[in-house]
Amino acid sequence: MADVFKKVEPAEYYRRHLTHDARPDGRQLLAFRDVVVSVGTIGTADGSALVRLGGGGTTVVCGVKAELASPRPDTPARGYVVPNVELPALCAATLRPGPPTALAQTLSQAMADLIENSGCVDAGALCVSPGRLVWALHVDAVCLAHNGNLADACAAAVVAALRDTTLPAITIDDETGRVRVDSGRERAPVAASAFPVAASFAKFDNDILFADPTAEEEALATATVTVATLEDGSLCLLHKAGGSAMTEKELQQCVDRAQVRGAELRHLVNKVAASKEC
Amino acid sequence: MAGVEVVSEQGFRTDGRKPNELRRIRCKQGVFSHADGSAYIEQGNTKVLATVYGPHEIRGSRSKALHDRAYVNCQFSMATFSTGERKQRPRGDRKSTEMTMHMKQTFEATILTQLYPRSQIDIFVEVLQADGGNFAACVNAATLALIDAGIPLKDYVCACTVGFVDDVTIVDINHLEETNHIAEFTVAMLPKSEQFVMLEMSSRLHLDHLSKVMDMATKACKDVHLVLDRAVRDHVSEVWQQLGNT
Repeated sequence: MADVFKKVEPAEYYRRHLTHDARPDGRQLLAFRDVVVSVGTIGTADGSALVRLGGGGTTVVCGVKAELASPRPDTPARGYVVPNVELPALCAATLRPGPPTALAQTLSQAMADLIENSGCVDAGALCVSPGRLVWALHVDAVCLAHNGNLADACAAAVVAALRDTTLPAITIDDETGRVRVDSGRERAPVAASAFPVAASFAKFDNDILFADPTAEEEALATATVTVATLEDGSLCLLHKAGGSAMTEKELQQCVDRAQVRGAELRHLVNKVAASKEC
Repeated sequence: MAGVEVVSEQGFRTDGRKPNELRRIRCKQGVFSHADGSAYIEQGNTKVLATVYGPHEIRGSRSKALHDRAYVNCQFSMATFSTGERKQRPRGDRKSTEMTMHMKQTFEATILTQLYPRSQIDIFVEVLQADGGNFAACVNAATLALIDAGIPLKDYVCACTVGFVDDVTIVDINHLEETNHIAEFTVAMLPKSEQFVMLEMSSRLHLDHLSKVMDMATKACKDVHLVLDRAVRDHVSEVWQQLGNT
C-alpha cells in the first residue's frame, strides 16, 4: 500500500515522513547515510579512492594520474590540478550516453573550487623545475551509482584519492636536460594538511531542512546547499544554487552540522589510510 | 621482439603462470540496486563493471525501434586512470567505438531479442583498471549483468584471449604479454554448444596452428564458464536465502 501511495503522491509521502522528523529510509532529518571509504583500489592510478554512501546507493571512484607538463605562464613555480567529474550512462537509469551533463560540469567546477580554496594540495610542491616542468594532477572521479548527494561523495573521493597520491622523484640532467624518473628514491605524497569535507542539505516545502538527500529527495527538494569545512572550522565552499530562500539561522544550522560531519569523515579517512599503511 | 621472454625455458610466463592457466577470476553479481542488472569482475588486474538496463521502451530516437526484435545498445568505456598512461578520452575514441560495436554484435547474437520487439536493452561497461584482455572481461561482466537482469540468453557468453608465441599457445594474456606483438585472439563463445560468436585476431598466424589455438580457446572459455556459472549459482542461492527460504 505504501508503495502505491509513494508512486501516486511522492510529495505527500515525503511530507508525512518529514513532518514527523523521520525519513522513509529510517534516518532522522539531519542524519547522513553510512559511508564506506577504501583507498588505493586502482593499481594503475597514482592515487585512488572509492566512496560508497548508504550501502552502494551512491558510489564514486576517483583516480589521480600525474603527468609532467609545462607550467602555466602566470604561475611558473606551481603545478596544477585538473579535476573532472564523470556521470556515465551506467550510473543511473535516467542518464543517456552523450556529452557531459550540466550536473557533471557543475560538480567538476565545484571540485576545482574545493581543491583551490582549501589548499588541500600544495601546488608549490608539484613544481619539478621552475618555469620548465611541473606535475599536472588529473583527478578523475567516475560516478558508478547515483542515488543523490553526489557532491559529498565526489568531494570525499577526490580528497581521499589526493591524500593517497604519491609522486615519483624526478631527476633532471643539467647538461643534457633529460628528465628521468628516479625509481630508487621514495615516492612523495602531494596532499597538504588541509582536509576539506563537504556536507549537503536540502529543503523540503520551503521549510523542512534535512541532510544528505537521496536522488528521490533531491528531485522533490525545493533547494539544496553544500557546505565544505576544514578542520579549523573555516569554510572553503558554500554553494546554494537558487531554490527556496534560507534564513541565517538555517544556514548556521547547516554549518554546525557540517562541522560535526567533517570531524567524523576525517577520522574515518585517516583510519582507512593508516590501516592501508600497516 | 622486445627483450622480455613471454614463456621461459622452464615453461612459465612472466607472471608465473603456466601457458594454459587463466588469471584468477573474482566476480560478483547484483552490485548495484539502481540498475536492472549489474556485475563486477576482476580477471587478474583487469577490473570491469557492467550494468544492464532494460528491456525498456526505446529512448531517444524512435526510428531505432525494430519491429521484430529488441534493439541492443552498448557502451564501452575506459576510465582515464585505468591504463598506465592516462587516457585522454574515456569513450568515443576509435578503440572504444570498435569495442562498443563488437559488444553489440556479440550480444545481439546471444540475447533472445525476438522476445522483446520494439524495446531496447542497454549494456554499459566501464573498465576501471586495464591489464590485458579488456574486451574478454567486459563480455564476461556483461553476461553476468544480463543474467542478473533476468534477460533470456541462448547461453552464457564466455570470452577469453589466446596468444601464440614461439610455438606455444598461452591463454588469458596480460598487458605485458600483449605489448610483445604476439599473435592475439579474442574469442567469445557459447560454451555449451561450442559456437563462436565473436572472433578477432591481430598479427599473423600460420594456418597449421589455427586448430591448436582454437582448441585452447575453447578449453579456456569452458573454464571461464565454470567460474561464471559457480558465481551465478552462489548469487542465486544467496538471494534465495535472503528471501527467507532455506
